[in-house]
Amino acid sequence: MTRLRAGVESHALTALAVLTSAALVVAFYYPTATVLIEAVVVDGAVTLSVFADILTDPFYFGELARLLSGESPVAVARSLASPDRRLGIVGFTAYQAVLSTLASVALGLPAAYLLARFEFPGRRTLRSLTIVPFVLPSIMVAVGFVATFGQNGTLNAALGALGLPPVDLMFTLEAVVIAHAFYNAPLVARVTTAAWESVDASAVETARSLGAGPMRAFVDVVAPQVYPAMLTGAALTFVFTFGTFPIVLALGGFQLATVEVFVYRLVRDLSYAEAAALAIVELAISLGVLLAYLRYEARNSTSTRGARPLPRRSLVPSTPSLRELLPRAGLAAYVAVAGLVFLAPIASMILASVTGGDGALTLDHYRFLVERQQTGAAFQVRPWPAIRNSLAFATAATLLALPMGVVVAVLTTRRYRGRTLVDAAAMAPLAVSGIIVGLGLLRGLVFGVEVAGWRIAASGAVAIVVAHAVSGYPFVVRTVSPGLSGLDRSLVESARALGASRARVIRDVELPLVWPAVVAGAAFAFAISIGEFTSTVVLATGADAYTMPVAIERFIGRRLGPATAMGVVLLVVTGLSFVVIERLGGEHRGL
Amino acid sequence: MTTDESETRRRSARPRTRRRFLTAAGTAGAVALAGCSAERTDGGDGGDGSGSDGDGNDTSDGNDTDDGDGGDGETPTLTVATYTNFIDAPSVSPGEWLKGEFESRYDAELEWATPDNEVNYYVERAASGAGIDADLYVGLTTEDLVRVDERLDGDLFTEAGDVDGRDAVKEGLRFDPFDRAVPFDTGYISLVYDSTTAEAPETFDGLLDDEHAGALITQNPGGSSTGRAFLLHTVSRFGDGGVASDGDGEAVEGEDGDPDYDYLDYWADLEENDVRVLGTWDDAYAAWSEGEAPMVVSYSTDQVFADMEDQDLEKHQIRFLNDQAYANPEGMAVFAEADEPDLARQFMSFMLEPDVQGEIAQRNVAFPATDGAELPSDYAELAQEPTDPVTFTYDQLQGSVDAWVEAWERQFAGN
Repeated sequence: MTRLRAGVESHALTALAVLTSAALVVAFYYPTATVLIEAVVVDGAVTLSVFADILTDPFYFGELARLLSGESPVAVARSLASPDRRLGIVGFTAYQAVLSTLASVALGLPAAYLLARFEFPGRRTLRSLTIVPFVLPSIMVAVGFVATFGQNGTLNAALGALGLPPVDLMFTLEAVVIAHAFYNAPLVARVTTAAWESVDASAVETARSLGAGPMRAFVDVVAPQVYPAMLTGAALTFVFTFGTFPIVLALGGFQLATVEVFVYRLVRDLSYAEAAALAIVELAISLGVLLAYLRYEARNSTSTRGARPLPRRSLVPSTPSLRELLPRAGLAAYVAVAGLVFLAPIASMILASVTGGDGALTLDHYRFLVERQQTGAAFQVRPWPAIRNSLAFATAATLLALPMGVVVAVLTTRRYRGRTLVDAAAMAPLAVSGIIVGLGLLRGLVFGVEVAGWRIAASGAVAIVVAHAVSGYPFVVRTVSPGLSGLDRSLVESARALGASRARVIRDVELPLVWPAVVAGAAFAFAISIGEFTSTVVLATGADAYTMPVAIERFIGRRLGPATAMGVVLLVVTGLSFVVIERLGGEHRGL
Repeated sequence: MTTDESETRRRSARPRTRRRFLTAAGTAGAVALAGCSAERTDGGDGGDGSGSDGDGNDTSDGNDTDDGDGGDGETPTLTVATYTNFIDAPSVSPGEWLKGEFESRYDAELEWATPDNEVNYYVERAASGAGIDADLYVGLTTEDLVRVDERLDGDLFTEAGDVDGRDAVKEGLRFDPFDRAVPFDTGYISLVYDSTTAEAPETFDGLLDDEHAGALITQNPGGSSTGRAFLLHTVSRFGDGGVASDGDGEAVEGEDGDPDYDYLDYWADLEENDVRVLGTWDDAYAAWSEGEAPMVVSYSTDQVFADMEDQDLEKHQIRFLNDQAYANPEGMAVFAEADEPDLARQFMSFMLEPDVQGEIAQRNVAFPATDGAELPSDYAELAQEPTDPVTFTYDQLQGSVDAWVEAWERQFAGN
């Protein structure tokens, strides 16, 4: 028995790596390739003309397209310097993604500071809940935002009460950027908090005892460990907002259309060659950003033994000195802004779910949910199965994404030739257009492949879980990997020298040292699964594999009540789930 | 038939350790294989009548329900594909009533299939040789047919042929020149406005007045059927300026009688006047409901819903610009590969019966396709029809509609 166990253990890593690769090929690479190949294979012949058309089209690439189509660099440079230069759709998409990333970092960092460095009642619960905005369907966010920032919204009501003129934020780039921050600042906050909590207190104490001031200690010791995590959040945010689609049209309008809007339209019109070519352009840019970041991360990993986190300070200042008051005053200002950006839209959603057509408070929309549960036809979407499926899929997907992510993180923290390629391959699920993946899953899994007169197909719950795990596992990699690569190698080497297998070292030595990051990764994998829509509707070929976001979409009608009520159910269920995940994960296992 | 391959592939026998993540991976791997199905294909043609995973079958545990092959003595199953709202909407939808009624009148079982990609799903199925797995599609538009015919070499749908009651379908709604799709209802896309805040203009030109600056919300023509209908309406009104003429040589002339002013010019003026083009109908209607603008592009049956929900009808007024609205007739057609073509045609006849036509109109909140449908006498009070419906024919849309949408996109989103 012991020998068997040792045998299994010694091969566990290899087996997991093989399983991970298999899941990726079946649920991502092969399906996606069936669509992307259409960009270069048109009517059976290989061609690059579709690409050439896009790259030289000013509509997509602005002034750059003129350069690519052979105009003189001087003339193009002159246009670039002029005020009416054209960015093109791709340029504009990148521009708004940069703005959205800056806004997300600006709103996410103070939250990380608050959660990592201060102690107050409900801190852990608040930390668990920070990720909730991440899972909300875009239509819910749009409703909340119109109610908050619209002409008759909360913000204008507040401004009016203060005697200030109203602002109209709706249908502007600002509204889109704020909404993107709503979605992604939690991501930045969550990743950064995990890193901040892993900072070893003894290193700071050593610096202080050697005469460094608190500021100097922060800049030299704490910042180098927090900064890469912040960049992780920023890189992920850029990729997400670069591939953004429904929220842009809901809150901005078609003038602010992004690349993904056109990918969607081309797929809908069955113009697959152009859709695939555009999606490859998107993929190249997103992967480029991710890889640039990964190169930075590899060069700047800081070594840590991650033993004892920094002590947290009380929110109530111990002495009324300027040094104590200033950060807290800053945090107070931040909380006011966060209240407007995060809490007001969510509060508006909750309010909409209990407001009737006449504006009076009512529980009718929740009654609708109960009624639909009791009297809905077998082929109609009902709330309870949606809740059950969402939780089951997310739990299974998380349990699958965790080992996948840990394995890939272990494989990509070593130095070897071709690592960049492995990195790119591992991160690709983040960077491919969701619509394209959905279409690929339809072809590759739902319709299946014909092999020797048999058609092998897979759909339903299991396929959904695997697809969700593939979407979520990059987050586990990105949260766990920096910590692993920063671990003191001597720890691993001593354990190996004492006869522990590689898998055992990972389990007993490395993972406990980066545990906050593992829990953060698990929460992300769970969140990705809960919020996922495109792959779910493609793979849920039965009338019984739908999830909460699908139910919300189904309940949207002229009155938003029923859908917002379902949205509140999603809020509550996912909020509770995140609290449970954090509790299960423990604060700091064994530390 | 389904094979559970996990037996042969479960190599990662459960290691007896407390290593949670390894065990989880092992079981997940085994389970992942249990969701596969394998079935024999006959000569690559697919569609051998055994259920695969394409429609309302439960595949969560890998058990296919039998589609019923209509053998002797068995109740045949008719699989009807349609869009989701036809069978499942928060307010009303005709699906449940139609299923019950059809099954009580005929010796057959009706099964709905609502793939998320709607008609495109079946285009994909046909292209990948996976078999169609449905007998007929309910909810085809003229544009769907144009797109399907352009994309597929073979025939996805077959001629309607012998369908009782087809003669009752209104002449103006018959949109398929090849007689495959039979219309069963129609809707009109018009302006809906809140008369308590503003009065809508009477004409397209009126929308350009200063007093209506920022007053109209519409939808993205590339992603929303109402948005596309409104765009097509402007093409019909102002002409297409020859945008699509490189395909078929004919420019569409606008009714405005000005050859130098086409729909793109009109949209440039609309944009100048701050028209809001949002994403889906949901986005637009939600923003309009919150009072972001007094007018929205929607359906002329808006008051039917408003009345159902006891809302103030003053806030739900309909405006037919130039007394027109764009008509979107919906049709049904039998799949060329249907297992039950005769039963499918019986279903089409059933859909055209006067009482069923009335029920569909009320439950889908639309208008009947036939003369003589049985509707309550006050139905027309709330469901308004324009004096002059406008719609493009199949031939007019073929080779043009993509070019119209694309030209509009390039002008409107030129960054």
